Amino acid sequence: MTTSTSPISRPGLIWRALVLPAALIVLWTLLDAFGALNSDILVSPGKVLVTAYEGFADGSLPGAALATLLRALTGWVIGATLGLAAGVLLGLSGVARGLFDPSISSLRQIALFAWIPLLSAWLGNGEAMKITLIAVGAFFPMALGAQAGCQNVPAPYREVGRVVELDRRAMLTKIIFPAAVPSILAGTELSLNIAWLGTFGAEYLIGTGYINGMGDGLGAYLAAAREYARMDQVLLGVLFLALIGIALDRFVLGLSRRLVPWRMP
Amino acid sequence: MADALTLSRPKAAQAGSVNILDVSKTFHVDDRTVHALDNVSLAIEPGEFISIVGPSGCGKSTLLRFLAGLDLPDSGRILVDGERIDRPSLKRGIVFQDHRLLPWFDVETNIAVSLHSVAGPEAEKRKRVQYLIDLVGLTGFEKALPHELSGGMSQRAAIARGLAPRPPLMLLDEPLGALDSLTRSHLQDELLAIWEREKSTVVMVTHDVEEAIYLSDRVVVMEPRPGRIASIFDITSERPRHRDDADFVAVRREITNLLAKR
Repeated sequence: MTTSTSPISRPGLIWRALVLPAALIVLWTLLDAFGALNSDILVSPGKVLVTAYEGFADGSLPGAALATLLRALTGWVIGATLGLAAGVLLGLSGVARGLFDPSISSLRQIALFAWIPLLSAWLGNGEAMKITLIAVGAFFPMALGAQAGCQNVPAPYREVGRVVELDRRAMLTKIIFPAAVPSILAGTELSLNIAWLGTFGAEYLIGTGYINGMGDGLGAYLAAAREYARMDQVLLGVLFLALIGIALDRFVLGLSRRLVPWRMP
Repeated sequence: MADALTLSRPKAAQAGSVNILDVSKTFHVDDRTVHALDNVSLAIEPGEFISIVGPSGCGKSTLLRFLAGLDLPDSGRILVDGERIDRPSLKRGIVFQDHRLLPWFDVETNIAVSLHSVAGPEAEKRKRVQYLIDLVGLTGFEKALPHELSGGMSQRAAIARGLAPRPPLMLLDEPLGALDSLTRSHLQDELLAIWEREKSTVVMVTHDVEEAIYLSDRVVVMEPRPGRIASIFDITSERPRHRDDADFVAVRREITNLLAKR
């Protein structure tokens, strides 16, 4: 049961993926060695490494990353759960679709950060507001994926359920939900991605006000780094955002491959 | 519900009679009206093996979907054992051309799905599933997923799923149409053996005139625009039949000529 059609092995693919980053690091090191770096724009690789070491030694860097990750996951779990429930309801019930679909489709058009003024008026600028913002971001792609999955079950599969006289419940568990899984997983991937991006935005834009103090997380870390013109910390923060983001993405992708070894027609 | 049907039912010698009475159906495609079926009538005896052949558009698949209860005719009635068909039932098993195995279930579970709504203890159902897996020659592939099977194996599993609830009437919609000729003739013999054992009525739609003559008691030839029955051929020779016997060849030529005329 192999899903990979590539002639080269997985470790081979990973090495290939590392070629570009490695080349950039080499170039960066060379530029530094020849003294071509303006330290206001780009600091030396060595400086970034030292800052990373210090960040780990005093716990500030892993602390910030962990705070962001926990915040993202909390908001995502809430938003994705509600999105899944709403999407399944809309996908299964024509009445529910008629009642809610136009409203949800309209709300979906609002850019995530456009919710900030509204939510901060209702919830203040604390943790509740950030979590809510992340949940709002995670809600829509999940709802959309679940709805599409439940609504677009291929008619041939529904007919199989009809000819063997499945009751309503068995129709859901044996036909509709399994058929919807690929679409739900696509929604999961997108909603986690948006939750991750939204978390940084929430931390950067909301958590740094004068009322609530600096806040925590990578967003606050980067905001501070920018404030004090610490290019080394800016680079580290961006690097951590990318690494954790790609790890989350790969996790869902791996989950998809395990859950859906088949291909939908 | 399917409670009238149990796995342990005795072989119902008189079950599976079909009466198609003046069935018509029109489809509206864009502005045109297509007469898919025009006053079609046909009586099928219990235990009979009937094939329906005809060019595409003659309404043979439409008729089979009516028998399954997946669609309903505009006018006319279809009675199976005296009961009017108004929806699908486990008493009428169907095997589709595109095997339609559920890609998320293994072979075993795919077959067991058709027993979900049948009354009876789980252990008995499991025995029935295993019996059918052995019968169609899929022993050892119980846990295989459909995408791991060849076309022939998928179609065997689909046939097993259709047979599992022991329907008195089996409907086959070009069940072997997508297979290579070797697998096909092998499965034809298996189909015959299964039919002789289960004693169910079989209605099979096919493109293959030879297959129809090889398997059936009667071959119904349909013609299109409007879809109707052109002629019915009784095939009375003893089984197993030989495709190069004189009477086999004669009937085949007659049917082929009839189809070519249209």
